[in-house]
Amino acid sequence: MIIATVEGWVEAPLARYVEEARARLALLLHPSGQVVAQAGFTRSTDVMTACALAAAVHATSKELGRQVDGSGFRVLHHGGTDKQLHLAAVDLGRVAYICLTVFDEESSLGLVRMYFGDLCRELAAAAPEQPAKGPSLGLDFERELNHNLSALFGRA
Amino acid sequence: MTTNAFGSVLETLTRQRGVRASLIVSETDGLIVDATLRVGQDGDRVAALAASLFRKARLSAAAARLGDVAFMQMDAEQGRICAVGGKSDLVLMVVAEPTANVGLIRVELLKALETLA
Repeated sequence: MIIATVEGWVEAPLARYVEEARARLALLLHPSGQVVAQAGFTRSTDVMTACALAAAVHATSKELGRQVDGSGFRVLHHGGTDKQLHLAAVDLGRVAYICLTVFDEESSLGLVRMYFGDLCRELAAAAPEQPAKGPSLGLDFERELNHNLSALFGRA
Repeated sequence: MTTNAFGSVLETLTRQRGVRASLIVSETDGLIVDATLRVGQDGDRVAALAASLFRKARLSAAAARLGDVAFMQMDAEQGRICAVGGKSDLVLMVVAEPTANVGLIRVELLKALETLA
């Protein structure tokens, strides 16, 4: 499976997670929608679309959780006919990400949940003391997004 | 746990000598439906992995035209997992000491499965 990351320290934990959880696709992104790492995608447009939708869904469920439960929902699972998705927050203290995982009958929600816990622990251990650069939604957002996509798909 | 109708089935299994934990797990999702666990045991991990194993065993048996899986046993250095499943999505499993009497556990698991059916 093709795994590409914008930040190198993410690669090993993500590769292990994808292999052990038998995920078809995985995407690590900032809540703003900027991609950090991807596994299994072959086209940058797919990554861009998935990032935008995942960020929007996460923001929606977070706000919904805040309204009904007092705190944002952290995990979302959708079951389809053949494929399922698991969308969850990865809180690394100084920085928070969202992880989107798509899996099929080769895996199960239990396995994905279990290995997602391991992924969070491994990312927390591997994260650098100082985050490389904070995400931005200002004038640089589109440039940053395009830069990240180019880095992931080898056109940087 | 054991706050619902499965409680008595699980308690009967856990009373067997050498049994550390008993769980009812969804085979498709690998999630616990109900369980009796000792303090500190990670039931979620056992449930996810054992359900995945059971599912693979069932698919393998079907592919080999051997019919349904009646009983699955996995022996490891520090314990063993025994599981039975019926026509439904539920898998009944037990985590036991390596020295536990598997024959007795198997009988109790099959009896419990009939109760659940």
